[in-house]
Amino acid sequence: MFGRSKAKGNYAYTATKAKAMKSQLIKEDDYNKMLQLNVTELVHFVSEAGYSKEISEIGERVRGIDLVERATYANMASTFKKLLDGSQGELHTVLAAYLQKWDNWNIKVILRGKSYGLPAEQIKDDLVPAGSMGAEALDKLIALESTDEIIAAFEKTESLTIPPEVLHEYHENGNLGKIEDFIDKYHYERLLKVIPTTSIPTRMFSDYIRETVDIKNVETIMKLKSEGINGDAVMEYIIPGGKQVDMKLAKQLADAENVTDTFADLAQLDFYEDVKEDVESEDMDICKIFQNTKKHELHVAKKFSSQYPLSVLPVVDYMINMENEARNIRTIARGIESGIDRETIKELLVI
Amino acid sequence: MGAHDVTPNRSVLLQLKSRIKLTQGGHKVLKMKRDGLIIEFFDILEKARQMRAGVSSDYEYAMRTITIARAVEGEVAVKSAAYALKADPQVNVTSKSIMGMVVPKVEADHIHVLMTEKGYGVISTSAYIEAASIAFEKLLETIVRAAEVETTMKKLLDEIEKTKRRVNALEFKIIPELQESERFIKFSLEEMERENTTRLKHLKKA
Repeated sequence: MFGRSKAKGNYAYTATKAKAMKSQLIKEDDYNKMLQLNVTELVHFVSEAGYSKEISEIGERVRGIDLVERATYANMASTFKKLLDGSQGELHTVLAAYLQKWDNWNIKVILRGKSYGLPAEQIKDDLVPAGSMGAEALDKLIALESTDEIIAAFEKTESLTIPPEVLHEYHENGNLGKIEDFIDKYHYERLLKVIPTTSIPTRMFSDYIRETVDIKNVETIMKLKSEGINGDAVMEYIIPGGKQVDMKLAKQLADAENVTDTFADLAQLDFYEDVKEDVESEDMDICKIFQNTKKHELHVAKKFSSQYPLSVLPVVDYMINMENEARNIRTIARGIESGIDRETIKELLVI
Repeated sequence: MGAHDVTPNRSVLLQLKSRIKLTQGGHKVLKMKRDGLIIEFFDILEKARQMRAGVSSDYEYAMRTITIARAVEGEVAVKSAAYALKADPQVNVTSKSIMGMVVPKVEADHIHVLMTEKGYGVISTSAYIEAASIAFEKLLETIVRAAEVETTMKKLLDEIEKTKRRVNALEFKIIPELQESERFIKFSLEEMERENTTRLKHLKKA
């Protein structure tokens, strides 16, 4: 169909399904309506917006805003799983690699929970099985006794090898940070390797991921710089393969005297226009800057989604929008519950 | 002991005089200590006021940052980051002396930990969660400093109260009683002197 072999993948089927699913997502205007609701009304609204199954399932155990948060995660996990399971060939490989970030999320939750001594049931509640590791595989990981066994099992499932020096550091001080950073770097490196660059849409997807890497790298540099960490200590955390932030520019940014100096070098980057106002503002807020980079990512996805309708792009666009919907619902729900004023909540939304 | 329950002789009078001098000296020193403590208390009170305002504003800021982090990143992400924390803040309590009064000196170690040493990954931890973490570290630092100032202030208040009671006891009870005893002995000795003179005159006549 559409001149694609089975090895290439069922692009037409998956993309059409993704587009149909995207049409059911909450529209921009609905967020304004949601901002006027109270918590009970919000739960009802979310239930009617396609989350009724999850709300009634999880509602037996959880109430209030936690219910909204868990239902949105559960819904997102099940829709991603449906798309992943329904995809074939090259498309399946690409989507599985893209969704590996959720496997990473889950392994982090498990390792943190286990090292803190949380009971298995509590860890299980916090998982989002939206990646290729389903609920069963994650249950098996939780059932393992030690964090070493969990790490070994994860390495086997994801076919990755955590370097001995990273593991050694964890054994020495119990700090999971280096393991988490290695897993995150590995995710992007593998994803960029897996995405074929044989067609324009996959090249566009690759470009999108490379830009995401740029944003991640700039975020990392700025976070560390604001704590006074510069130079080579920053370079340890840089993910290779960025679109515009190559290792040379990353080093230049990492070596800059302070955060403000970093911004001067950012002007050449694609996402600079979206963050320009915040960067140049007197009371510069790093959180706000990255809030706007999220908006930039969403706009890029929106742009490419309609260009190649029977490619991986509409599927990824749906996944980005779905994740964003879950995030926006959560922001509104938690914001209303905590009494944050409506204007601030609105600013926190990624629309 | 009542003012008249003393043996009226010269030796007791001399002892009493010396006690009165000593007590008046002590009274003067205690009054100076009380005044000094009051001055110190007002200094600390101003500091405590600033500290309370600092704790209050840092608390509000920390709660706001964590509320926003919970809203943007979700409860699960914030909780999970908290479980990963390996930082172990230490509070050391030693003591120092203010006008002879021992007050605690509270110091905290390892409250602010660099992001690279916190226990969670640098790459994936959002700036919102890190901002909340830093805000709570700052709040903890302010609380520890406030604890020292508040405890010092309470101890100062107790000490001022104690010193005031001692000054009042000396001023209105002990010194007047000693002076009364002194007057009584003096009067008794004069009386004895007069009796002796009369007795000698009678003997001379006889």
